[in-house]
Amino acid sequence: MTVGPSAFMALAALLFCIGLFGALSKKSAVMVLMCLELMTNGVNLNLVAISRFVTPESLAGQFTAAFIMVVAAAEIGLGLALVLALYRRTRTIELDRLDELKG
Amino acid sequence: MPESIAAIPFIILAAATLLGAAMVVLTRNVVHAAFWVLEVMMAVAGLFMLLSAGFLALVQVMVYAGAVTVLLIFTVMLTLRDREDAIRSRDLSWAAGGIALATLVAAGTAIVSFAPPIPKLPAVTPGVAEFGRLLFSGWALPFEIASVILLIALVGAVWWSGGER
Amino acid sequence: MSYVVLIPLLPALAFAVMVVMSNRIRNSALWVSIGAMAGSLALSLYAFTRVWPGGEEPVWSSTFALADIGGKPLEIGMRLDGISAIMLLVVTIVGLCVQVYSLGYMHKDRRKGWYFAVLSLFSAAMLMLVLAGDFLLLYMSWEIMGLCSFLLIGFWHEQAGPRAAAIKAFLTTRVGDVGFAIGLAVMWATAHTFSIHEVSVFEWARYPAAALAVALLLFFGAMGKSAQVPLHVWLPDAMAGPTPASALIHAATMVAAGVYLVIRAMPIFEEASAAGLHTVMIIGVTTALVGGLLAVVQYDIKKILAYSTISQLGFMFVALGTGNTVAALFHLVTHAFFKSLLFLGAGVIIHATHTQDIREMGGLRKAMPWTTGVFTVGALALAGLPGLSGFFSKDEILVSILHVEGDLYSMGVRWLLIGLMLFAAGLTAFYMTRLWIRVFGDNACSLAHEGHLNMLVPMVVLASITVVIGWTQPVFMQFLGEHGAWPDPLMAGLSVAVFAVGVGGGYLIYGRQLLDRDKLRGRFYRLYGALKNGFYFDWTYNGFIVRPFFIVAEWLSTFDAQRIDGAVNGVASGWSRLSDTMWVGDVKIIDGAVNGLGRLVTRSGARMRKLQGGRVQSYQRLAYAGLIAILVVIALAAWLTNVVVPMLRGA
Repeated sequence: MTVGPSAFMALAALLFCIGLFGALSKKSAVMVLMCLELMTNGVNLNLVAISRFVTPESLAGQFTAAFIMVVAAAEIGLGLALVLALYRRTRTIELDRLDELKG
Repeated sequence: MPESIAAIPFIILAAATLLGAAMVVLTRNVVHAAFWVLEVMMAVAGLFMLLSAGFLALVQVMVYAGAVTVLLIFTVMLTLRDREDAIRSRDLSWAAGGIALATLVAAGTAIVSFAPPIPKLPAVTPGVAEFGRLLFSGWALPFEIASVILLIALVGAVWWSGGER
Repeated sequence: MSYVVLIPLLPALAFAVMVVMSNRIRNSALWVSIGAMAGSLALSLYAFTRVWPGGEEPVWSSTFALADIGGKPLEIGMRLDGISAIMLLVVTIVGLCVQVYSLGYMHKDRRKGWYFAVLSLFSAAMLMLVLAGDFLLLYMSWEIMGLCSFLLIGFWHEQAGPRAAAIKAFLTTRVGDVGFAIGLAVMWATAHTFSIHEVSVFEWARYPAAALAVALLLFFGAMGKSAQVPLHVWLPDAMAGPTPASALIHAATMVAAGVYLVIRAMPIFEEASAAGLHTVMIIGVTTALVGGLLAVVQYDIKKILAYSTISQLGFMFVALGTGNTVAALFHLVTHAFFKSLLFLGAGVIIHATHTQDIREMGGLRKAMPWTTGVFTVGALALAGLPGLSGFFSKDEILVSILHVEGDLYSMGVRWLLIGLMLFAAGLTAFYMTRLWIRVFGDNACSLAHEGHLNMLVPMVVLASITVVIGWTQPVFMQFLGEHGAWPDPLMAGLSVAVFAVGVGGGYLIYGRQLLDRDKLRGRFYRLYGALKNGFYFDWTYNGFIVRPFFIVAEWLSTFDAQRIDGAVNGVASGWSRLSDTMWVGDVKIIDGAVNGLGRLVTRSGARMRKLQGGRVQSYQRLAYAGLIAILVVIALAAWLTNVVVPMLRGA
């Protein structure tokens, strides 16, 4: 069996969907952020795989993935700082309890 | 550049990735979940290596496995009042499952219909040197912007963590 | 030759000037009208000299193109020939006499100015009629004359009698005018011209049906204007107008217009089938007899003269029925003079005795010698005394019957007709004698006074003409292009005999009272009744036309009041009921709907509010679900375009 782009893309899709499942169901803010990271990794994997199989010279996918990592880092830093600030204020990170925007 | 990817490493690494991801979602212990995230990151790094993306594999380890996971564990610790709180309910939802499944189906159809042309692989695998060269030439602008983003994130994080003023 | 245009123009201008004046000023401006008439008379005399020695061809004509109808130019124009020259003289002489007479007759009337103005307009119209070179202009003048007749008959419109009489006259002549108009249409359709000259040379023989139609339709118009049976009913009623107006219009001129029309249209009659002329003949004879018979039983002096006019017009149409336009015109001329004279005389008598009923008059020959004199001249002329004008012209008509051509006119038929006409002439003599004896005869002492000078002088003028004009017969005939001749001795003899019988009978019955008239009336009550009721013409018209008309009008009025007004009111009440219903509907339904909408919004808002849980996870799931939906749509579209459509096309 040859491992072609389809295999990597399927893997990436699975990773992404597992992460999506977790991000939408988890009630803990930190858990959600973790699952978001899974999703991001899935995307990165997809990009690099396609880059490798479709445009090997330009490394475009790799660069995109690199910059996505930068953004993901920034995001996780800010996100966790946000969660801590929220915890300090409301003593909870249960998303169900955070419903002050309830209409 | 190798013509094709070796199957066995791929299968191992793929299995590791998927197992880890499943455990992240299914485990009841938050701390365990964080460690499973670490596992997934490492597996993906291995996959990057398999795809001849050496530099990226390194960055993956450094940033994700290193910084991101550490931060996650820090936050978990800081928001736990005691050890028992780490265990919580599984928090799974059918709605989310449905959505995820739908997304998977959509992605699946896309993958099935995606038939990329078979390129002529370069004789020499583009390595870190090539990566660096392209980074500072073609991708220079995004590089600079990325720096700015990190700066903003740093400043923001510091401000938010500032506590009572 | 443009002076000819002035002849009708002067009276027209007089009218135009007088019509804009106020009543007071107009009453002092009568000389405008008289002056215009005098001017026209002078010009007519001049025109006559220019036309002399006459003939059949026009001396002068001019046309004016109005428009194009279907390629053919529509022209109107004027024409001066022998016939028109004679008519001009008749109209202007009688017209001027009447106007001068009216100065005295209408002296005390508050609106005499308007009277003179309308007289001027009438004169202008009549003069234009005789100068018309085409039937269209003739028709226009015809209509204006109808208007003036209406205005003059109804001059004293404060009273109901004149009002009704004016309407009756207008409507009856209008019936004829409709026929005239249709005849004009058929004329144009066939000959594409209205010109008298062109009509006379047109080959009517090629269109026999059209020719007969035109002839009969034009004659129908003439019947209305010239009071022929059965359209004669308006003329006796028209006596409600001022007597001098009756003299001018209903004796001399307007009623003669019908005769003039047929004279001008004779070329059509000649080429149409003989049925045309036969119709004219029959109507003429009938009218002559009806008029004469009805005149015998009248007590109103003016009505006697009116029926006499009807009868004499019948004579003229009999002449036309034989195709003899010269005889008809001759009688028209003589009749114009002595009949207007008689009417003016009647006016003086009425003025003096303050009554129109001959039973209330008597012995006037002693009180009003001049009037008696001129009136007698006129009466004798009408009756047909040899030497006076009436004798000559009536004789000509009888002669033309004798010499008429046509398959229908066997000797027997001719003598029958002559006999009927002689009977009519005898009647004329009889009723005039009756009138004379009742008015002038007897020895009743009358307090009447003689008429003013301005009333007598015109009468004397007319009487003089009456005496003389008969003797111009040969010249008259030559003037019109005919061979001049004296009266036929046979006919002359018969006429004299009839005259004598009529006068004698009248004298014996009314003078010597030889017959018990009451007993006669009793024995022949049906005949007398028929005569008194004008052979029931008015009764028929009233019953079958006028009353149904009013019944329909009444019904429509009630219909309007009940149904239509009812309908309108019904709509109004229905509308207010509808709005009440709608108000209820508004309250319940519309307000209900509005309130319901409000409640719906509130409830759905309450339900939708649950979406806004404030919980992040629900927001996320919704967002992703939306994204999936979009992806599905795009995929479906792509699948349809790329897979299904080619599949369908291929199949």
